[in-house]
Amino acid sequence: MLPLSLLNAAQNKPMLVELKNGETFNGHLVNCDNFMNITLREVYQTNTEGDRFWKLKECYIRGSTIKYLRVPDTLLDAVKEEQNRARDAGRGARGAFVSGNRGRGAPARGGRGGRGGPMRGGRGRGRGA
Amino acid sequence: MSSLQGYVDRRVILILQDGRVIVGVMVGFDQKSNVVLSESKERVYSMDEGVEEIPLGLYLVKGDMIVLIGELDDAVDQAVDLGTIHAEPIPPIRY
Repeated sequence: MLPLSLLNAAQNKPMLVELKNGETFNGHLVNCDNFMNITLREVYQTNTEGDRFWKLKECYIRGSTIKYLRVPDTLLDAVKEEQNRARDAGRGARGAFVSGNRGRGAPARGGRGGRGGPMRGGRGRGRGA
Repeated sequence: MSSLQGYVDRRVILILQDGRVIVGVMVGFDQKSNVVLSESKERVYSMDEGVEEIPLGLYLVKGDMIVLIGELDDAVDQAVDLGTIHAEPIPPIRY
């Protein structure tokens, strides 16, 4: 299971985030992206020593500053179930169709790209051409 | 290419840059070595008391912070009475 799938599934769930500097943020996840940048709402912030507290309506945390996230245990089963359902749905939807689709798709991917990329910027035409 | 795939669904021990030691079952990872641990516990070492295990639950640790990941030999680990272990805690990395 990918860490980011877990995080995505954690939307609207409570979580604890600790930053690399030791500050912690307790709140509900509003949104996240692939960099693990996150926004939390109704946040309790503590300083590194854990002796001072702040309450924030909402906050944004840059993903690169995060040390770890603690999420509800129940999320694990929720994500696993979701993945199973997605897999089964995928199996059902595919079938005879798929080979046809692939056939059409394949040449475009493997072939030379459009827009004449390879020609431009290739070898020059020699001096003065 | 080195991979964490072999550790998935195994009990592992994680050592972080801040010196923390976390054990848990690895349920997932990604290209940046971000790791998901379930049933995770922190092991706090000290010279005065035995090892204290603090339950943490489901944890997502950023790859940036991870120093080491090792597979735990469950049989050996179970055989150890953590309460009798006295050890210096690992100091954090200082820059």
